[in-house]
Amino acid sequence: MKRNALVLGVMIVGISLMLWAGWHNLRTRRIAMQQAEANHVTLIPGKAGEPGQMDQGEEAPPEDAGTRLKGKAAPGFTLTSLDGKKVSLADYKGRPVLVNFWATWCGPCKVEMPWFEELRKQYAAQGFEILGLASDIDVGKDTISKVAHQAGVTYPILLADDKVQTAYGGVDYLPMSFYVDRNGAVIEVTAGLGSKDEIEVNIKKAIASGMTATVKGGE
Amino acid sequence: MRLGVLLAALLFTAGPLTAQMGDLSAHAPKSKSYVIYDAEPQVIRAGKRSVVEMRFRVVDGFHVNSHTPKSELLIPTKITLQPATGVKAEAAEYPAGTPFSFSFNPKETLDVYAGDFVVKLPVIASAGAHEIDGTMRYQACDHAACYPPKNLPVQLIFTAK
Repeated sequence: MKRNALVLGVMIVGISLMLWAGWHNLRTRRIAMQQAEANHVTLIPGKAGEPGQMDQGEEAPPEDAGTRLKGKAAPGFTLTSLDGKKVSLADYKGRPVLVNFWATWCGPCKVEMPWFEELRKQYAAQGFEILGLASDIDVGKDTISKVAHQAGVTYPILLADDKVQTAYGGVDYLPMSFYVDRNGAVIEVTAGLGSKDEIEVNIKKAIASGMTATVKGGE
Repeated sequence: MRLGVLLAALLFTAGPLTAQMGDLSAHAPKSKSYVIYDAEPQVIRAGKRSVVEMRFRVVDGFHVNSHTPKSELLIPTKITLQPATGVKAEAAEYPAGTPFSFSFNPKETLDVYAGDFVVKLPVIASAGAHEIDGTMRYQACDHAACYPPKNLPVQLIFTAK
């Protein structure tokens, strides 16, 4: 009698476990299917020399965004600074430049901005400059200015439009930095917060790259 | 003996079933949507104040700001729903967030949603099938970077009986 009750109990537990597993499996599959649909991206090849385009409203995955610019000429731009001046990348021709995309809602961006400020001063003698491109211009100039001020930034902050963000690969991941050498070539692209040491190594690379060509050109 | 055989059979059957429960985090790094909405149909009582649930899952490795982030600069998670015929909806009830700090900035604590979270919507609905469309605006980050705000379509499907 006792034995039969025990067997019955085990069977009930077993069947319950199987029913629960089946239900959980169904729910998980449904979620996974939605995720797969959401992740669907159609790549449309761009014209020669232009980056590929994404299907309507789609964006490149983070690991692809902007990295295709490495080794290529940095896309030119003319943007408005916080004090209303027009600033072009071409204004810095012959100088190593760090083009840094950031946003006021981006915590990691605000961590590296004081490092940038410090490194900018450290390498100013080599002509190094930083251009901070604020990508959330909808919050308004005052908010952007306030955040930049809180971070101790004195380098130019420019208001990034859609055109420049598209030219730099969509900038779907912040912070995103493009290290441009004296010849205007992108020699390094970083996405996300790195260490201060990594940033300094990239700045040194940007300063060193193109130096020979510049010296030769100046001879 | 018979009991042992029965137990072994049950474990043999249940093992593969539980193993099939997919791993949603497997593709997290390449994800474009950082929050997934589980649109499961629900049944509520007609004509009575009832609560319908909106279940979300933040993809493993990411977090989103809660509805009440600790800084005005941060973008809160917020659901906007369209009016639906036969449904009187109250304000959505958001869960409390959990504290989170980036490893590079441990002094600043954020209020975030990670993993599963549920937003509740109290409604009074007439008998029949109902659909409420809307969007959830959120802004996600991972351990080292942040992503621009996104709008996730939401569709609440429920039957009032």
